[in-house]
Amino acid sequence: MLQLRSVTKRYGPLTALDDVSLDLARGEFFGLLGPNGAGKSTLMSLVAGLRVPEAGTVMLDDEPLTASHAAARRNLGLVPQHVALYPELTAEENLRIFGQLQGLRGSLLQARIDEAFAAVQLADRRRSLVRTFSGGMQRRLNLVAALLHQPKLLLCDEPTVGVDPQSRHAIFEYLQHLNRAGVTIIYSTHYMEEAERLCSRIGIIDHGRILALGTLDDLLTRLPFEDEVTFPSTPATAALASQLAAHGEIVATNGTQRFRPHPSYPLSAFFTLTESLGLPPRLFVSQRPSLESVFLDLTGRTLRE
Amino acid sequence: MSQTLILLHKSLLTFRRSRAAMVITFLVPIVLIYLFGHVFGLYRKDFGPTGIPLAVVNASVEPAAQQLIDALKAESAFRLITERKDPAGVSRPLTEADVRTGLRENQYRFALILPADLLTEKQLGLHFRFLTNPRNEIEAQTVRGVLQKTIFSNVPQLLGQALQKRAKKFLGAERFDQFNGTIAGAVSRAFGGDAARIQEEIASGNFLPSAGPAPAADPTLRRLDGPTGAAVAAASPAPAAATSPSSDGLGRLVRFETEQVAGKEVKNPMAARLVGGYAIMFLLFAVSGSASAFFQEKDSGVFQRLLASPVRPAHILWARFLFGVILGLVQISTLFLAGRWFFGLEIFTHAGALLAVALSAAAACSAFGMLIAAVSPNATAASGLATFVVISMSAVGGAWFPVSFMPDTIQAISKLTLVYWSVEGFTDVLWAGRSFLEVLPNVGILCGIAAGVMAVAIWRFNRGGLFA
Repeated sequence: MLQLRSVTKRYGPLTALDDVSLDLARGEFFGLLGPNGAGKSTLMSLVAGLRVPEAGTVMLDDEPLTASHAAARRNLGLVPQHVALYPELTAEENLRIFGQLQGLRGSLLQARIDEAFAAVQLADRRRSLVRTFSGGMQRRLNLVAALLHQPKLLLCDEPTVGVDPQSRHAIFEYLQHLNRAGVTIIYSTHYMEEAERLCSRIGIIDHGRILALGTLDDLLTRLPFEDEVTFPSTPATAALASQLAAHGEIVATNGTQRFRPHPSYPLSAFFTLTESLGLPPRLFVSQRPSLESVFLDLTGRTLRE
Repeated sequence: MSQTLILLHKSLLTFRRSRAAMVITFLVPIVLIYLFGHVFGLYRKDFGPTGIPLAVVNASVEPAAQQLIDALKAESAFRLITERKDPAGVSRPLTEADVRTGLRENQYRFALILPADLLTEKQLGLHFRFLTNPRNEIEAQTVRGVLQKTIFSNVPQLLGQALQKRAKKFLGAERFDQFNGTIAGAVSRAFGGDAARIQEEIASGNFLPSAGPAPAADPTLRRLDGPTGAAVAAASPAPAAATSPSSDGLGRLVRFETEQVAGKEVKNPMAARLVGGYAIMFLLFAVSGSASAFFQEKDSGVFQRLLASPVRPAHILWARFLFGVILGLVQISTLFLAGRWFFGLEIFTHAGALLAVALSAAAACSAFGMLIAAVSPNATAASGLATFVVISMSAVGGAWFPVSFMPDTIQAISKLTLVYWSVEGFTDVLWAGRSFLEVLPNVGILCGIAAGVMAVAIWRFNRGGLFA
């Protein structure tokens, strides 16, 4: 459905996207995971037709996505990173204007507006000014404002920034509902748990390049370890770290040590060692690898660094 | 086009919802015009200064000195101070030492000294001293001008008296009386009248008898100036014509007849210029403020949402331009209605011409607002730039002060501003009563400015980062 071929985008001397290629099938829920400044928003804006790449092509259903291809752009909806609404207007007035701009009129527009309010549970606030909404309510409205024309491809650029858990959950539910209904979604985020929960396929992006691409399981199986134990970096654990070096990999980040044992080194041996050193079990957290582990393995840094 | 209209509707809806925008656009200008009306005295019939304190010291024994003081008292521009009270509460005439102290202590800023040698046989002419504490140079110049006008308009016989004194010095008292008596006798024989009285008039320095009602005792004196006075009266074509208020014959040696050719029927001429000028200035502020809304929409991501839909930058720009034109038209109309309410401006007599000027001025102002947004990197810069340019352009363009008072270079520059052509357009309609066809050249210039400025703005938008 969506094809990016060798796309490069530069801002002056900065290369925001570097020879990126990507294929998305219809009905995918694709997560774009990366830290701030990795190139997520640039990729989104190229797909939305807001920017033109220096090299490469962006095609939607075999049609180029540029500013001059209005028909192709009617097939996509963009949920911007910020709350892109008119705060002095009511929720309904906002949806009416964005629906009209998409070419909707009359009873069809009214029906879509009603559906949108029902979907994000804001029907009772439809005549309230948007500036009176909570952050979470604004985010929900921000989402449905991109969906009135029922796009085939929905671009969500970090849509849950600053959202309370209740609204976040509502947004997730609605996005999953849309995806089940056939809408292809590109979801950019730097929250790994969001990508893990929502996305059928994930691309890890950093410094303008896609470092890894696949399902969550695909990405995890690429890791050279199966378990991971984290513990704080303290003088008491320094001796432990030096002894563990022979049995696996030790990665120090932000005052935390991560021990990734070789497959031949059982965790039971690890805990026997810590007990012999007199270190209490509460210092240690054992977990299965996550996207965080994958990102750390690929870039040498955490997502929030 | 429909995208443009939808966005225009959005802007109007947003504007209507914003109380702050409504207050700044309509209420503040109306209140300020009302206040400026009071400041500039638009509610009075006479627009000049009134009641400026003027201390007067009379050290002269000449009767004419008292005549001069009486004339100054009758001048509304001044409030004369001629006495001061001593600690015991007893009033006494001011002395020069008193007024010097008063000037230094800023009790008043101007003082006229009529010295003992106000009229002297040693030199030809009059001798005054004018003491000032000129905190405000414009005020000082105004006072000096009004003072000179009062002196030369109301008591020109002082000059005649000075001439008589000087003649007496050179001829001696006896030959002086003999000379005047001979002249008076010749006048009496030629034109009639009492020779002794004519000699008395000449000796007092009043060479030409009064143009006012002649003394009943000697009606023949009218023959000296009657025909001239009648001619003047006949030459005055309209009731609005006015002559210098001199009551003395010498006052007519240099005679100004002032006739207002245009705007005679304008009820409040100063308001015609003031309301137009301020309407344009406030409109510029309003459209500049609305232009900075561009940056709010950009920063909030609304532009991203719009441009990801079937909306192009041109739709956004034209919607904003049209919004500025509509806002301008409504604001100008509101302010002129306020002008009619406050100052009796005649706005309905030439409504078509006024509407044409208002529409073209609104278009030029809206384009200006677009240019401010196009050349500014952010909302803060746009606000600062707009304030600087609007104030400069209003001052240079004549919104506050007549352009004719400005130096030649500034006058030339003013013609490059939309404020100048807008104010001229409004004045042409409200003052000169020009018709729709007559103001078309002015409207054309404003439309040309709008088109030119909008073209530059669009060029800048295409090169700038507003839509990036």
